[in-house]
Amino acid sequence: MRKRLMFMLVLLTVLLAACSGDDENKIQFWTPLTGDDGAYMDKLVEEYNATEPEIEVNHVITSDMYTKMYTVLNSGNGIPDLSIIHADRIASFVEQGLLEPMTDIMEAQPNLNADNYIPQAWTAGEVDGTQYTIPLDIHGSAMYYNEDLMKKYGVEHWLDDDVVTFDEMLSLQGQLEEGDYVLNDALIGWVVLAQLQNLGGDIQEDGKPVIDTPEMREAFQAIKDLSDAGIMTPYGEDGYLMFQSGNVMFSTDGTWSSTGHAQVEDLNFGVTNIYSFEPSIFHNRSSAHLFAMLTKEERTDEKEAGIADFLEFIRENSIEWAEAGQIVASVDVIESPEYENYMQSFFTSNQAEEESLYIYTYEHYPYVAEAIDTYVGDLIHGEIDMDEGFADMQRFVEDKVDEGALDMENTELLDEDELEEELSDE
Amino acid sequence: MKEQSKFAPLFFVGPHIILFLVFILIPSIYGIYASFTKWNLVGNPEWVGLDNYKTILTNSDSTFYSQFFNGMQNTFIFVGLSVPLMIVIPLLIAVAMEHKEVKFTSLFQTLIYIPGLVSISAAALIWSLIFNAQLGVVNNLFGSEVVWSTTQPYAWLIIIIITIWAGIGGNMIIYRAGINGVSKDLYEAAEIDGAGPIRKFFNVTLPAIKFPLIYTMVMTTAGAFNVFAQPLMMTEGGPRQSTTVLMMYIRDLAFSHGESIAGMASAMAVLLGIVILIISAIQYYIMNRNATT
Repeated sequence: MRKRLMFMLVLLTVLLAACSGDDENKIQFWTPLTGDDGAYMDKLVEEYNATEPEIEVNHVITSDMYTKMYTVLNSGNGIPDLSIIHADRIASFVEQGLLEPMTDIMEAQPNLNADNYIPQAWTAGEVDGTQYTIPLDIHGSAMYYNEDLMKKYGVEHWLDDDVVTFDEMLSLQGQLEEGDYVLNDALIGWVVLAQLQNLGGDIQEDGKPVIDTPEMREAFQAIKDLSDAGIMTPYGEDGYLMFQSGNVMFSTDGTWSSTGHAQVEDLNFGVTNIYSFEPSIFHNRSSAHLFAMLTKEERTDEKEAGIADFLEFIRENSIEWAEAGQIVASVDVIESPEYENYMQSFFTSNQAEEESLYIYTYEHYPYVAEAIDTYVGDLIHGEIDMDEGFADMQRFVEDKVDEGALDMENTELLDEDELEEELSDE
Repeated sequence: MKEQSKFAPLFFVGPHIILFLVFILIPSIYGIYASFTKWNLVGNPEWVGLDNYKTILTNSDSTFYSQFFNGMQNTFIFVGLSVPLMIVIPLLIAVAMEHKEVKFTSLFQTLIYIPGLVSISAAALIWSLIFNAQLGVVNNLFGSEVVWSTTQPYAWLIIIIITIWAGIGGNMIIYRAGINGVSKDLYEAAEIDGAGPIRKFFNVTLPAIKFPLIYTMVMTTAGAFNVFAQPLMMTEGGPRQSTTVLMMYIRDLAFSHGESIAGMASAMAVLLGIVILIISAIQYYIMNRNATT
């Protein structure tokens, strides 16, 4: 494995070094958008290039983007001019000094400002008052419902207030036909994080990650109760597929799944919020695709102007991006009548919906999410005892933070090195 | 003239040496170096001496300790279950194909070999559908209700099944080649002496293909220690991390969502490398001893 990893690293370095003749006339634009998402982005880039801009954009889809980013940042060769990164990476990237602020870009295109984007998407890229990213979309948890099943059990009124509650779902306990389920456990880690917000909890305390909190325990327990009641699809079964085959009333997956569900014949479905404890408080755990510029010395002013033009084009024209099922971040787009045809417009249909989109931006969120995802299945389906699971998760996160986080000493060391390099360059 | 002949060998071994240096030796040395550091893949590695090893091997309160030992244990389970089957099954097939009345041997050989050429991820998707509790063939055929990927020992069972399905072809071809090389005279002589088929297998076939047998054993074992894709795709390491093999922990440490913990990952990789080295050395020793006597 080690050999193979290093092999990959070296191979990449060589390849990227070889092909990074750093085309002056192209903006190298990296995204992790594989599959359909990548095709929609390709289309947007093509349309932009068709406007004959001074500098064209070259869209490169890299499935293992973050690893490749580390590689090029390390070697200093072939660093992309522009890239799309996820909201939960921002804090750590900024902390490590890997991102350049968007200040110049925003000056070049004054429309790239906070007023023109969904606030949650915009602020996800703000660290200590500096704007590091321009948002493309918000994507996150969504709950799809099967209209026919709701009618069958006479519970259509659950949707009247747009929030299905735990109690409502539990009321169907023991009344389901064999093979029918009220909900599945798709993307259940995100559902946990939404419940944590509903209960007023957090994943950090004074900058330190916390998992073993009363709120988190309550969130897990509440979901475990659903599983214990026998209304959730059993552990290990493909709940997503079972929703598509019409046996599950609610599927808690992602905004992007609407396109997949739409391809299923005879599946009458709609979208609503992730279930909650009470109708007045609800959250949908979200993330965002954000345009960002990795730290790169030789990014010319012309290129920066080109990037600004491209981002302005995206802001105006990203209705295409709605096709991919994402909640487009540009206010112009979501306010256009055309956008209402897309299912995900539900999440921006009013103030309360917009505010329900919760993006975690805590620096160590990725470790917390990893711990939750590792243990959630075993915990809610009763494979592991709660106390044991919570002790393990808490330890998991603390150990990873201890090992993974750069301490101040090391950061200083880095700066000194950079300084030396700069001096020797001169 | 003299000059030329001096450099000629270099041209022959040169390409291999360069590839070996760039892709194997230097990365390996760097990986070993990284295992003595705290490194996030971006900044400068910070030298921490034996700290990573100390944590992994002795600090029983640490996540990395439990990950390493759980991962190692699961890897050994996989090796223990899969390697004997990966040797015995292809051997039986190879011997069976030698029977005079078996027709279409090349067709069967191809059919058995082809799964090895299918990408393991694609294969795993197909197999997980076959074993899907609701929609799968297996459960509907046998009327079973088991959710394979989250119930032990079934989780191991599906991992082993896909491994064998994909892996026996290669070894089988090596055995068939070995068996074909055995002189027919030996079998005839054995027959005259009154040996039955079982006697012939143990006293003629097996000794004759000893070398391919041990070669495949060494290679299959080393490969099995590096298992990664099958458990990742079939069970995601569950239930209760009982099928999470060491390679999965190593990858998660180095290339997961959070900041990379590459130093610790390298230390685990080095330890895994040492284990593979020791076991290969033992097998190699046995092979050499057998070859000389």
